[in-house]
Amino acid sequence: MAEAIQKKLQAEVEKYTLMQKDVSKSMAARQKLETQLTDNNIVKEELGLLNSTNTVYKLIGPVLVKQDLDEAKATVSKRLEYINGEIQRYEAILKDMEKKSEQHRELLSSLQQEYQKAQGLAVGKV
Amino acid sequence: MAGKGKLKPEPLGGVVRLREEHKKVVRDCESRIQHWKKVSGDYEALSERLQTLPDQLCYDVMVPFGPLAFMPGKLVHTNEITALLGDNWFAKCSAKQAEKLVEHRMKFVKREIDELSKTMKNFEARVGFAKDLEISGSKEDYVDIREEDRNIDTALTKGKHRVAHKPNSKPKFEAVVDLKEEDEEDEEEGGDGGSRKGVLTEEELWARLDELEKLEELQDEQDRLSDNADMNGEDTSSLSSEEEKEGEAAPPVNGLSLKPSWLSAPHSKAPPTVDKKEEEEDDGDDENDNSCLPTIFFSHTVEPKKVRINTGKNTMLKFSERKEQKEHSKRKKKNGHNNGHSHHEHHKITTPTDIYRLFVDVKNGEPIPRKSILKSRSRENSVCSDTSESSAADFEERRMIGRSFSHDEATHSDTSDGITEEDSPTAVPLHPTSRFEAFSGTVVEKDPMPSAVPHLTIVPPALPTILERKQEEVTPDVAPPEKAPKRVSKFKAARLQQK
Repeated sequence: MAEAIQKKLQAEVEKYTLMQKDVSKSMAARQKLETQLTDNNIVKEELGLLNSTNTVYKLIGPVLVKQDLDEAKATVSKRLEYINGEIQRYEAILKDMEKKSEQHRELLSSLQQEYQKAQGLAVGKV
Repeated sequence: MAGKGKLKPEPLGGVVRLREEHKKVVRDCESRIQHWKKVSGDYEALSERLQTLPDQLCYDVMVPFGPLAFMPGKLVHTNEITALLGDNWFAKCSAKQAEKLVEHRMKFVKREIDELSKTMKNFEARVGFAKDLEISGSKEDYVDIREEDRNIDTALTKGKHRVAHKPNSKPKFEAVVDLKEEDEEDEEEGGDGGSRKGVLTEEELWARLDELEKLEELQDEQDRLSDNADMNGEDTSSLSSEEEKEGEAAPPVNGLSLKPSWLSAPHSKAPPTVDKKEEEEDDGDDENDNSCLPTIFFSHTVEPKKVRINTGKNTMLKFSERKEQKEHSKRKKKNGHNNGHSHHEHHKITTPTDIYRLFVDVKNGEPIPRKSILKSRSRENSVCSDTSESSAADFEERRMIGRSFSHDEATHSDTSDGITEEDSPTAVPLHPTSRFEAFSGTVVEKDPMPSAVPHLTIVPPALPTILERKQEEVTPDVAPPEKAPKRVSKFKAARLQQK
């Protein structure tokens, strides 16, 4: 009885750790997005400081490709929106995962209690 | 003893870990700050270089070839700079433009450094606290002291309120309905959404309040005489006075502390919308007697109920039941009714239904219950439902105007403005008859305008905006004739004609 519970506990613990890994992965991705967001914000502001006499280039692989200033501004804005959308998506995912991991945690704790009870019983019996 | 022994290690262990975590964060912040400082230093060097670079057309330099070799060469086109804007974007610009870019980035870096240093300070403080907790945990004295303070605090400041209020009233919007007379502590509840524990020490509070009341009354009179002139000036300035007051009130835990906050209350009456009103109300008891002073006081002899309604934008209207009762009785007398007393009782708000009972529209001396206190008051003034009238914008306008006016002066009934055009014309005719509307809350100026007071106390309308309007209406003597020509709904006009 106690052993069965123990096995169960182990399995649940593993699942929980997997979930935690997922959570941390999503968090890392979100962090990356955040840095990109700040980056793009700075680019946007700096593009605003320039005028049309300056040529704007975009680095695509090893090539610097000339771009129009207005085009560049539009592209950066679009990218910003995209990044914001991604961040929100990730936040939703994170929330979801948090909930699941909470449930899992509760399950784990209840299992642990059972296990302890079983242990106590086993000890008593012995 | 054994229990104590058990408890000791547990919090200690947790506290130690807490401290460790805090320290980690502090260290992390430090490293980040170092990083940003380095970046900042780099940018400064870059800025210097950019300034000197265009001095010459070309420079003789040793150009690095790979990691080990250099080659003599020339640096040309010294004013053309290709700058990385981030995220693989480049821009060709002159040295000066590049300098601008660098400045812009320096700002960002500075911001980051500031934020990080703030966080670091916070966490350092937390580390200190955790340390203290750890130390005191071993003594086991710390906790006790804390509890005492908390009790006292709640006793002094919050307890009374908690009894009758919802536990989650927010500081801004507080429908403070007290069934008890000693509401003098309402002043402090404004900002303290927190402790609902007062119920525990209610009785203590009651006793305390009684004492404090007496003391305050004495002091208020003295202080008022001396300070009124000075304080009036102060009032208009600080809308956040309530916070200050509460700040004053909160730290001093004993009953005496209440005095200063209360004393300040009469002084800070000018902004009627501010939460100070509670204090003002409290002072009302005292001040009613000393009406000779020009200061604006909230008259509130008996404080059966106080209702504070958030009229938005940091304004609060207080519904002074007493005033209403007064006015009610006066009106009733005028009309030859004897319902004053019944109204008096009705004014007690114990349940939401009471609100509906109280916030009724009085038309032709008879209370007509409103369908919804959330509906705009314009309905009251116009027979038909002029929902469009009391649009939010209007209310805001009036509110703002009312507020500004109310700040102005003591002599007139609260809202010196007649901006509520709709209401003002009706205000005049309505005054002679019983008026249940408008809420005398905020602006009511007590003693200087005893005549005005009756106008002010009107049935507590639910909507704060309406209340404000009413207050504004209250100055029928002053404003209405001017405003009458302004917008008057046909219904109002009809009514006016009737009257």
